[in-house]
Amino acid sequence: MQIQTTHEDHRIAWLTALAISIHILESAIPSPLPGFKPGLANVITIAVLIQFGWRSAAWVSFLRVVCGSLLLGTFLSPTFILSLGGAVFSMTALWFATRLPGDGFSAIGYGMLAALAHMTGQFTLAWLLFIPNIAVWRLFPILLTAALLFGIVSGIIARAMCNEEISC
Amino acid sequence: MTRADHILLVIIVCVLPFLYARLWAGNEHADYVQIQAGNDEPLTGELSRDRTLHVHGPLGDSVIEVRRGRARFVRSPCRGQVCVQTGWLQASGEIAACLPNRISLTLHGQHPRFDAVNF
Repeated sequence: MQIQTTHEDHRIAWLTALAISIHILESAIPSPLPGFKPGLANVITIAVLIQFGWRSAAWVSFLRVVCGSLLLGTFLSPTFILSLGGAVFSMTALWFATRLPGDGFSAIGYGMLAALAHMTGQFTLAWLLFIPNIAVWRLFPILLTAALLFGIVSGIIARAMCNEEISC
Repeated sequence: MTRADHILLVIIVCVLPFLYARLWAGNEHADYVQIQAGNDEPLTGELSRDRTLHVHGPLGDSVIEVRRGRARFVRSPCRGQVCVQTGWLQASGEIAACLPNRISLTLHGQHPRFDAVNF
């Protein structure tokens, strides 16, 4: 049986491969705090969102989480559930952001929004499912500050990428 | 950066200090102390009554002190002494645990929110 693939499928596969590579390279960086990582795979999601729209970005984001977890051996573990939850939250936030009238957000705004929604979603899930202790929220402001900074950084990188007009 | 970017940034920069203030200050007052030894039923007692408790664990007795609305491990027959170093517990939700001796100490407020906490 031959599955017909479109040009868009190939593009999504290439971009996902790029996002997975970044995701895995980043997992090798030691983390000073649980949940504290730059989230540079976010850059790909933002760049795809700007170049090819929300649908492609959602595919890349979802496939990156699933394939990345298979490669790292965290598939269906709590890490995976948090990662998937974060992706769902940030893609939902980005969906609303793309529906804004007027100029809407730039790459930097998308980056911030995605990172903040990702962090908030993960915290809510971690609290509801894994660590039902109110003390967990004490980490939240610190990690949200980090998410804001890393979100801005990944937005700047995504903007630079889109300005370079990388042919995808 | 577009106008939406600026608005988002301003909102977040305003919300963050509020989050720090809200989540880092104003601990909920604790009323009860709960001690769990091994797999036994947890024992709950009032925090207002001063006393010293000897709790038996696999390594021996851990000594827990409850005084002036606070509680702590005074001694424990473990090597790491993490539980003793945790010091006084004061706010609801705070936990000190001696894992080698399988004893944990938790403070609860008026309305304990959870039956169990797992990590």
